[in-house]
Amino acid sequence: MNPALAGVALAVIVGAIVAVSAREARTAVLGLAVALIAAPAIADPVAATSGMAARVVAAVLAVYLLWVAVRDGEAPTGGSRLGWAAEAALAAAAAVVGYDQHGLGAAGLGPAIAQAAGFALAALAVAPLITGRDVLRVGIGLLLLMQGALLVAVGLDGTPSALEQIITAGLIVGLGGAVGVLATAARRDGSDGFALSADARTPTRRAPDAPGPGRRLRRRPESLPLWSSDTFGTSDSAGDDQP
Amino acid sequence: MTLVLFLIVTVGSAGIALIGRGRAGVAVTAGLLGLTGATVTAIAIDPTIVIEVGGSVLATSAYARLFLILGSTVGLALALVGLAAGSRRDAPAVTLGTLGAMGLALSLPDPRIAVLASTAGGLLGVLLTLVPGGGRVGATVGIREIRALIVAGAMATAATAWIGRDLSQLVAQPVVFGLAYFAFGLAVAVRFGAIPFHVWAARLTDSVPESALPIVTAWGPAAFAVVALAWVDSSVAPLLVDMDAERAIILAIAIATISLAAFAALIQDDIEHVVGYSIIGDAGVVLLAIAALDPEAWAPARTWILAYVVARSAFAAWAAAMRATFFTGRVADMGGWALRAPLLAMGLGIIVIASIGLPGLAAFDARMQLVDIALDPPLQGLVFLATFLPLLYYGRLAAIGVVRPDPALGGESGFVGLPRRTPMDRTGIRTSAVTFWTANRAPSAVLVSLLVAVLALTVSAGGFGGPAAAAGLPPGQQGPSEPFEPGPVPGVDESFPADESLPPIDESFPVDESPPAVDESSPVDESLPVQESQPVGASPSP
Repeated sequence: MNPALAGVALAVIVGAIVAVSAREARTAVLGLAVALIAAPAIADPVAATSGMAARVVAAVLAVYLLWVAVRDGEAPTGGSRLGWAAEAALAAAAAVVGYDQHGLGAAGLGPAIAQAAGFALAALAVAPLITGRDVLRVGIGLLLLMQGALLVAVGLDGTPSALEQIITAGLIVGLGGAVGVLATAARRDGSDGFALSADARTPTRRAPDAPGPGRRLRRRPESLPLWSSDTFGTSDSAGDDQP
Repeated sequence: MTLVLFLIVTVGSAGIALIGRGRAGVAVTAGLLGLTGATVTAIAIDPTIVIEVGGSVLATSAYARLFLILGSTVGLALALVGLAAGSRRDAPAVTLGTLGAMGLALSLPDPRIAVLASTAGGLLGVLLTLVPGGGRVGATVGIREIRALIVAGAMATAATAWIGRDLSQLVAQPVVFGLAYFAFGLAVAVRFGAIPFHVWAARLTDSVPESALPIVTAWGPAAFAVVALAWVDSSVAPLLVDMDAERAIILAIAIATISLAAFAALIQDDIEHVVGYSIIGDAGVVLLAIAALDPEAWAPARTWILAYVVARSAFAAWAAAMRATFFTGRVADMGGWALRAPLLAMGLGIIVIASIGLPGLAAFDARMQLVDIALDPPLQGLVFLATFLPLLYYGRLAAIGVVRPDPALGGESGFVGLPRRTPMDRTGIRTSAVTFWTANRAPSAVLVSLLVAVLALTVSAGGFGGPAAAAGLPPGQQGPSEPFEPGPVPGVDESFPADESLPPIDESFPVDESPPAVDESSPVDESLPVQESQPVGASPSP
């Protein structure tokens, strides 16, 4: 085992444990930053400079987009209900399995430690994805799951090409940006922080439609369609041809 | 270079539209211009180019070119319908970003990278879930959408990495091949929102405008499915291993999706949900292709995907035109729509033929072939009948369309959706143009939706060389994949390949085929350890 790779993998796993355990949103995002920035270095041979640089910049950008949503520190995230020790034990167990089963039945073309770290990250991501009740926690789980899958792929199939690194960088930035946008949108709507909406859990009917100008009201009271306040023209503002 | 030009136009325009989203005019103009440019550059794509980029290869194909041409054209049409009927300012940018990702995914011979590109392209769709004034609900719908997207992407990434290597180097038990195939099959099901993974897709229809819905739930996942089909065809189908259990589960998902989604669409109150479930239902046929594990399914599957995405886009455009014309999305409130808007009735008729098909149409034949290949009688016949279940919800819409509206409930009569003339002010051309556009939004939406319906019928009939392009090889592949039997597990099978580090066997040396003579009189030392099996080429025991 390469001690340098093992050290980087340890940093990645510790960062991921902090990301899923912390209830202080900024701490969780900082833990995620460590995991995402260090993860591209777990490869043997190390990726080409251009690809590596793209991955690191992408990780920094993704974390920054999340940081925008959490930087005031006023809204907490869910954190782990079992505590960091339980998460660490889970990650350790998964890492041992990943290391021991390197190649998953065939000779792996990449380092075993990459697969170990990938398994650990994927295992840590499960709880936030299934039980997460806020946008940030689910988003952190998504980033860890994707990074875990990428590490497993490195362990199985070897160091990614430069093009793959660049597309992966786009994916990580896109994912960080998407979670950041959603987290910000949730925070701006009411005082529940990043919490998911209870209304979206059950099937809902679209709001009834508005009548056109001069049109008789229908049976029920009506309101505007959901997207009527956007700048795009809506059917409701185009009611001039109504009788 | 033509593909690179397409990528530059789509990604660049999407970037400009997103950066300028603070001003709706800039965002929409950049989006529409970008979609027009995307259509032109897609037509200009040379289907035979191979470019080496960053240690990987980008290779175009006739199928990818046709897919991108249709995607750009339909995207432009949907943006125009959205402009007329009501949509989001980000919709054209999301369409462009999705097109760029599709262009990459369909041109990458390496499925591992193609999966990443396809997954990245889907992320832009969350912008459409953000409802003005309802951020938390939109964020909840959006995070669930990207959860499905990333879970699918992660499973597919792991699967492609596992069987992404040279197959002759793989030495593993068949169950692992089956798991990799199963993971990618499930990933496609999750990405399409197939039943039982449909909840996120169903909720998406609550917040995404109907004119943008196919971009998120049909076009992006369809590109992902094309990548999956290429991977299955090259890496899994040639394997001579038993995968009946995994196939059975994917077939069950496909059949449940085909049949239950049609019933779900039938009972919906809102036309947006009908469109959403119709997209999910037809995706079940794509899953049949994934489950077929037969090279014969390659061409019909890709033909069906082309017809499916365009036909479902036409249905979504029609639904948006209905909303623009009748100011409602509630099916119950649309009494007499077909009598009052004959063009919309004609459009629905064309869409029914394009999506259900008639014998002789390419899409119909492709769907029938897929059912035949994937299933055995009697299930084969039942599932084929189930593919006609969409006639139920089409029939419901048509029946409501010919019912005379009840004036006591606010029902009105008279033709609607027809073009209107507005007064022309020679001193204020701009004002006159705005007045004309405002008065003719509904007719514009109806006209564009009718054009998309005709396009769908043409594709369904096999127009634009669709079946021939679909039968072509995936990008970068030189010939059809050959059947392959994976290597045995080390230490279990005696035919384990020889250690390459050992000196080669001299073939010219005469080999004595007769069994070695055993000296029966020699005593056997019982204390020595007995080796149960000794793989050929393995190191001898000390």
